[in-house]
Amino acid sequence: MCGKERAECVDGSLTSNALYRLMVWLSPAYPVGAFAYSSGIEWAVEAGDITSAGTLRVWLESMLTMGAGLNDGIFFAHMHRAMTRDDAVAAKETMDLSAALVASRERYEETTRLGRAFIEVTQAAWPCRALGKLQKVANRAITYPVAVGAACAGHALPLVPALHAFLAAVVANWVSAGVRLVPLGHTDGQRLLRSLERAVSATAQRASDASFDDLGNACFRADLASMKHETQYTRLFRS
Amino acid sequence: MAGGDNYQIRIEVGRGANLTVTTAAAEKVYRSLGPDTEVGVKLEIAEGGTLAWLPQETILFNRVQLCRSIDIQLAPNANLLFAEAVIFGRSAMGEKLREGKFVDRWRVKVGADLVFAENVRLTGAIARSLSESAVAKDAVAIASVLMIPGRQDDIAAIRAKAANFSGEVGASAWNGLAAMRFVAPSGAALHRDLITALAVLRAAPPPRLWLN
Repeated sequence: MCGKERAECVDGSLTSNALYRLMVWLSPAYPVGAFAYSSGIEWAVEAGDITSAGTLRVWLESMLTMGAGLNDGIFFAHMHRAMTRDDAVAAKETMDLSAALVASRERYEETTRLGRAFIEVTQAAWPCRALGKLQKVANRAITYPVAVGAACAGHALPLVPALHAFLAAVVANWVSAGVRLVPLGHTDGQRLLRSLERAVSATAQRASDASFDDLGNACFRADLASMKHETQYTRLFRS
Repeated sequence: MAGGDNYQIRIEVGRGANLTVTTAAAEKVYRSLGPDTEVGVKLEIAEGGTLAWLPQETILFNRVQLCRSIDIQLAPNANLLFAEAVIFGRSAMGEKLREGKFVDRWRVKVGADLVFAENVRLTGAIARSLSESAVAKDAVAIASVLMIPGRQDDIAAIRAKAANFSGEVGASAWNGLAAMRFVAPSGAALHRDLITALAVLRAAPPPRLWLN
């Protein structure tokens, strides 16, 4: 067991530069504003669906494995491959599909604002040709997984570890929202992240070589939550 | 329909034409002994045309394997009201859909732009998935409604009916479209909620066959 986990860790043999960039870009301190979005978790807490660490874990595992987590992972992988191959047609198809496959106005605003912010910051501080190209298509929506996938490809960061880091950051942001909203203790939040470790790793593996036919959402009530959040009376989050 | 069946439908709505499509009864998709049941729907709406696609519910039996693909092409000023409802198991008879496969792929284009896409996927132990709170919290009937053009006014009108719904209903509008999601405890509850919502979204009453 231990040996297997270690083997997965060194997959892709990250250079120190690659590790550094992934940790910086996917840190909560990276100035894209991810902390302001809860992906509908705020409504699920309001409605009583999430009341504890246990109910938060169940909700997030569904979002990760049967909802936005898996799908964003698949878009990340497609964009990474398209930019690595310099395939403009595949890149455009990925951009369009990921912007169309959202459940609500707030989810659309969340993913496209994070995507745009990520491109602006990263191209200012860590410029690369791939992001330069994306920055030019100003009239087109760019989602968060597409933006990060393009930057990772542009900096030759290997797909599987980069995708794994991306999904870990997405899940950590959800957990952080849940911890603030329920509210839970910070240690509870860390136990939750520990309990989702395997699911994050498995979802990253699954998404890394998935086709668009493998996109799959079953989180109908998480979609409802993001819709109902639009009219939630007291809100801390923008989604 | 059963495993191995392949059903394709294609409808074109001409310039300025107005068409409402429904079905005479709920569509039943039976268990499969191996092959998938495949359904393909292609809808095209020309300039100024209006299509209301309002089939009755699709009822999925235990061990169903349904793969459905829906492609809709609208001209830039065409109008669409599109509703699809799915019931997992014959809920009126207390039957549950324990396992199976349901894949539903939607792609909606206005002119050259992909404006809406959806890939619903439930495979394996579907009843267990449906029990998850982020999925359906044990509800067995779901529906999605898409309206183009769709505005804030349209979803505000749906939200104003909140007290009339027996299941959960969410509505959102963005990029010129409105999308609604329904999650209900039974097929009958979903049917009532859809009738309520469609009456708000349409100037016309629901198709008569819906009211039988």
